Amino acid sequence: MEIITSVLGGILFATGIYNLLQKQLLRIIIGTALISHGAHLLILTMGRLKTGKPPILVDGVTQYTDPLPQALILTSIVISFGVTSLLLVLAYRASKLNNSDNMDELRGTENE
Amino acid sequence: MIYAVFAPLIILLLIPIFNKWKDKIHTGWFVLPVPLLVFLYFIPFVGSDFTTKTESYSWIPSLGISLDFYLDGLSLLFVLLISGIGTLVVLYSIFYLHKSEQIGHFYIYLMMFMVSMLGVVLSDNVFVLYTFWEFTSISSFLLIGFWNHRERSRYGALKSMMITVFGGLSLLGGFILLSIITNTTSIRGMIENSHLIIESPLLPLVLVFLALGAFTKSAQFPFHIWLPDAMEAPTPVSAYLHSATMVKAGIYLIARFSPILAGEPSFFVLVSIVGIITLCWGSYMAVRQTDLKGILAFSTISQLGMIMAMLGFGTQAAIFAAVFHILNHATFKGSLFMIAGIIDHETGTRDIRKLGGLMTFMPMSATLALFGILSMSGFPLPFLNGFYSKELFFDSANALNAYTGGFLGFLQEALPYLAVFGSIFTFVYSMYFFFGTFRGQAKLEELPKKPHEAPIGMLISPIILVLGVLVIGLFPNVFVNGLLGHTATAVSGEFYEPHEIYFWHGWDYKPFLMTLVVIALGVLLTVTRKKWSSIYNVFPRHLSFNTVYDFIMDKTETVSSRITKTYMTGSLRHYMSYILVAIIAITSIVLVVTNGFDINTSYLATITIPEVLVAIMMAVAAIATIFTNSRLAAIIILGVVGYGLSILFVIYQAPDLALTQLIIETVTVALFLLCFYHLPELRKRDDTLAVKSSNTIISVGFGVLITLIAISSHSNKLFEPISSYFVETSKSLGGGANIVNVILVDMRGLDTLFEITVLGIAALAIYGMLKIRRDKEAK
Amino acid sequence: MSNLAVLPIIIPMLAGVLAIFFHKKIKAVRIYAQIMMLLNVAVVSWIGWYVLKNGTIVLETGDWQAPFGIVLVADPLAMILVITTNLIALACVFYAPSSLSAKQEEYYFYTLFFLLITGVSGAFLTGDLFNLFVFYEVLLMASYGLIVLGGEKVQLRESVKYVLLNLFSSMLFVTAVAFLYSVVGTVNMAQIAERIQEVPAEDQGIITTIAILLFFVFATKGAIFPLYYWMPKSYIVPNVVVSALFSALLTKVGIYSILRTFSIMFVQDTELTHQIFLWLAALTMIFGVIGALSTNNVKLIIVYNIIPAVGYMLLGIGLLSPSGLSGSVYYLVHDMIIKTALFLLIGALVYVTGTSDLKKMRGVIHQYPVLAWLFLLGTFVLAGIPPFSGFIGKLLILKGAAEEGEYVLVVIGLLVSLLILLSMVRIFVVGMWGEKQEIQQKRKIGKFLIPSAFLLFFSVFLGVGAEWIYPHIETIANSLLDPSIYIDSVLKE
Repeated sequence: MEIITSVLGGILFATGIYNLLQKQLLRIIIGTALISHGAHLLILTMGRLKTGKPPILVDGVTQYTDPLPQALILTSIVISFGVTSLLLVLAYRASKLNNSDNMDELRGTENE
Repeated sequence: MIYAVFAPLIILLLIPIFNKWKDKIHTGWFVLPVPLLVFLYFIPFVGSDFTTKTESYSWIPSLGISLDFYLDGLSLLFVLLISGIGTLVVLYSIFYLHKSEQIGHFYIYLMMFMVSMLGVVLSDNVFVLYTFWEFTSISSFLLIGFWNHRERSRYGALKSMMITVFGGLSLLGGFILLSIITNTTSIRGMIENSHLIIESPLLPLVLVFLALGAFTKSAQFPFHIWLPDAMEAPTPVSAYLHSATMVKAGIYLIARFSPILAGEPSFFVLVSIVGIITLCWGSYMAVRQTDLKGILAFSTISQLGMIMAMLGFGTQAAIFAAVFHILNHATFKGSLFMIAGIIDHETGTRDIRKLGGLMTFMPMSATLALFGILSMSGFPLPFLNGFYSKELFFDSANALNAYTGGFLGFLQEALPYLAVFGSIFTFVYSMYFFFGTFRGQAKLEELPKKPHEAPIGMLISPIILVLGVLVIGLFPNVFVNGLLGHTATAVSGEFYEPHEIYFWHGWDYKPFLMTLVVIALGVLLTVTRKKWSSIYNVFPRHLSFNTVYDFIMDKTETVSSRITKTYMTGSLRHYMSYILVAIIAITSIVLVVTNGFDINTSYLATITIPEVLVAIMMAVAAIATIFTNSRLAAIIILGVVGYGLSILFVIYQAPDLALTQLIIETVTVALFLLCFYHLPELRKRDDTLAVKSSNTIISVGFGVLITLIAISSHSNKLFEPISSYFVETSKSLGGGANIVNVILVDMRGLDTLFEITVLGIAALAIYGMLKIRRDKEAK
Repeated sequence: MSNLAVLPIIIPMLAGVLAIFFHKKIKAVRIYAQIMMLLNVAVVSWIGWYVLKNGTIVLETGDWQAPFGIVLVADPLAMILVITTNLIALACVFYAPSSLSAKQEEYYFYTLFFLLITGVSGAFLTGDLFNLFVFYEVLLMASYGLIVLGGEKVQLRESVKYVLLNLFSSMLFVTAVAFLYSVVGTVNMAQIAERIQEVPAEDQGIITTIAILLFFVFATKGAIFPLYYWMPKSYIVPNVVVSALFSALLTKVGIYSILRTFSIMFVQDTELTHQIFLWLAALTMIFGVIGALSTNNVKLIIVYNIIPAVGYMLLGIGLLSPSGLSGSVYYLVHDMIIKTALFLLIGALVYVTGTSDLKKMRGVIHQYPVLAWLFLLGTFVLAGIPPFSGFIGKLLILKGAAEEGEYVLVVIGLLVSLLILLSMVRIFVVGMWGEKQEIQQKRKIGKFLIPSAFLLFFSVFLGVGAEWIYPHIETIANSLLDPSIYIDSVLKE
């Protein structure tokens, strides 16, 4: 199963990057969201899947799934949420002020 | 000795104070005692019983950098030139520069130069020498740019700086290699270990590095081009830096390393060929100049070439001739520069085409100039020092006999002819300088000022220098015994037994015959100079090495601009693509080269239908985001991926994650909806096929790479993860049953603290962004 | 005493948070920020002195024994960089009032500023790879806030690109950390180093691959060829004091991370990885300096000059020799200081001329001689003219390269420093020299110049007084070459 999730992670990265390479800001932001999903899935996979019960101590259970990747993902989810929100507002403001949501038109010149 | 070196530094710091009174007393008067005192400090060392002297001060010992001053015959000659000519130049400048100029700056730069030049010739530590060396370039830059409101000054300053610093850096490279080869940073230490250097395979590189440093500084062909443009500096500077001292730093360097390198065939070839070419080219080019200082600049180039060539010969006779000429050149060229400055000062022009017949107006200057040019041209009179060193030059060129046959043998045969060839033009431009300025018809109407003799203050310095020419010419052996013999000893690395110098060797003395040839042909060419003018312009002006420099400077700007603009397009897609291609390419290569890919199926989890279905659903949704053209659809599809991920989290026993992901996903979708409402509708992707395919290749490539590394990482679990510790201690030490929670709030509490900080900053930044906008709109 | 290690992170963090509560009282918040910075400089200097005297301080946060909890490792390398960071920040906090608009100061400049310092110091101090990611996010988030401060059109446009590229590399960062965790089962840097040493040669391939992936993450932040495209434009759009902070701190954190990870952790296949670094270093230097020569925008010239400096440092890291590493560390400290100083001076230049286009400037030296001379001094420091700080680092790195027989790199390094000089001295020759411009009214710029002069003083001191600094740097380099020093200090039983 880890191979399947790895491939899925790869697909999420690939589609994310494809969107990131687009001109329209919206698509680009969608791309970043896909990439973070891919990253989180890969972190989880790296802790091995289905090796035990959820990491909540219960008497009599000795096998738990690796809790550390889960903790890392939690941190990462929150952080990427923060960045994504900022990015959304930024994108909105940038396209409003520059009158364009096309990154190809937002290149800029040398002296400004 | 350290006080003597840094004395100018002390006065430099006081100059701003003296400068406050400059309306009453010319700042130069305060400065004048400094070089004089330095000169007087070093004079007592002169004498036949001279012994070397060292002084050491610790600076950065852990890097092998210390202030080791070493006074031997070579440095003694140079410090006397630096301080002696320095005194005369400061005196001269008092009359040359008017109080209304920024004379405070002038003297600060000049003193900075003096410290650095003294440092160059007295340092035994290569890195300290390099430090001072760069400061001579910097002070020269500032002095050439003294009148920086002139375009030519700025051009000349930058040019001299670029070329000499280029050489300086090359020198640094040479010093680094030398210090590695010999494991010492002391020049004397290097000389002691010279066999290490000679035997090192790096010798050619060392030689090239050192030579580039010396050739650029001493204006050797083809790096001479900065010197004529350096004439934009005030004339005292030209006389001092660009004739008597700084340009001789390269000569000094070659002389300093002569005990190691002289005798090496590669050294002989490189240094003597460059020297002799510079001699010929400089004297030839001097004849076509129209600016008095231009003539002198090319003349300096030519004379430096001659000294360089003699050092290249490497025989003791040649070395003696070289050090003798260093002294002689400083005297006659210094005086000629000062005369040129006087003419400029008193007539308002230095253009030789407008000058002429000044003999009657300026008899004193004319007399001084006459001695100067006769000495420079090597005219055979017993009271001219230039003649003696020129004759010794011819003599040493004739005496070369170290090599037989081959290129070296041929070169050895050709050198005397080239020496004569170059000297002919030396004679021609010397006469041209004198006759063009002082004889012939005066063209008073073309002169900006009515010419008259210079004030006596201005004449003192050239008078002293010309007296030097005569005294050395009359009593050469005094100088040989007291000073130059020691210099030759230091340069050749073995004791120099002084030979008596005398005027008359008989009719059959070959160097004398060479002198006669030079004079005969020189007179002929001088008399008929106008007819030959086309010869001097054989090389079109626009084809000079200046063009090369200008071309390089121009191209560095345009080419770098073109290169940079091709990839710094401002387009996010380009940037992303370049970055991703680099990552994909290099990481894949590493993966393949290290044989890093590995697949191990032994501890894979089982596959069940529901999770596969979720995975397929997520994959399809992710791909669908590319193809949808509706905002709403895109958000919903993105939501599918996010919620799918939560389901996977549930399946893989991560309840906290699933919950968080669910909440965050919901909030994100809401945010997306809010923002998307304000952003334009998705447009169809209108990329060209090339763009589409490059995007596809890059994204698929990266996806594949990440997948491969993920599989391989998962297959290579080489160690037991540390998390078993968390399971064991969660309750006992952490006091909680939910291990993930315990990790977050306790074991990795710092992560969580700063994760919250990140969220806080994001909130603040968003608030600030929106608030500033509101405030702006309110206005 | 081990709790000392957290102070360089906690003080600026609290300072930043407290500043929110009276952000509208500009005068108060200014003085408050200045006092807090002075306090922080005093504290970190004292900790630095303590570390140099008594050895590395390791703080196991929450009292969770290493390698299980997060450790903060205040070793000499981290402390020297933290001190430098704080000196720069001190100069910037005194410069900020003259350079920022009231609105910018009001809208949380000081909070974001302090949190940036928090993130940077944290990144230097942490001994945990995932925690390094978190501190990266702190400093990046603060930088996002700072780059948009003011909300101008160009700022927003460039920050979108900046945020996107950094977001991507952050995601790559966590992914790579997860990969590494899978292979070596830990995220503690000392333990990773220890475990990698035990891996047999035939299993090292995947570790090297992950290491290269991590290198690219750091290289993106560190502006190494070919990953620096995001940098030049995004560094010139914010206010100049923000640009100064960015150019001093952000890229340097990336370089520091490479220095740390590729000396104590990933040294299993240096033949491959460090050879790649050497060539990337050469290309970084060349393309960076070409960039610096390509423009007439004075701010861009300085920003592009960050790149060849990064190249120099990477060269030293790639050599992985005592000279090379001590050169890199020296250069790192030098470059942080001089880049800030130059940016602050350029801020003054742009303020008095009203333009950042070099072609429109002339004769500044006649009205503002102090500015011009400080700038020329800065130019020489940057170009590595002795006896200033740039020379010591350059000398060590080039010496290291020559010792390893990399003569081509020596030549490239020398030529690049010539071109750096050219790119900078052009500003002096074209903009400062020339005819006097009478039209403009003279402005007071003392407040711009004092912070710059303060930093230039350290640049000169680092060169002339190298004997006081260099032995420590040498110790640092040796400890980087011998990972067991770091491992033992963290994983002591």
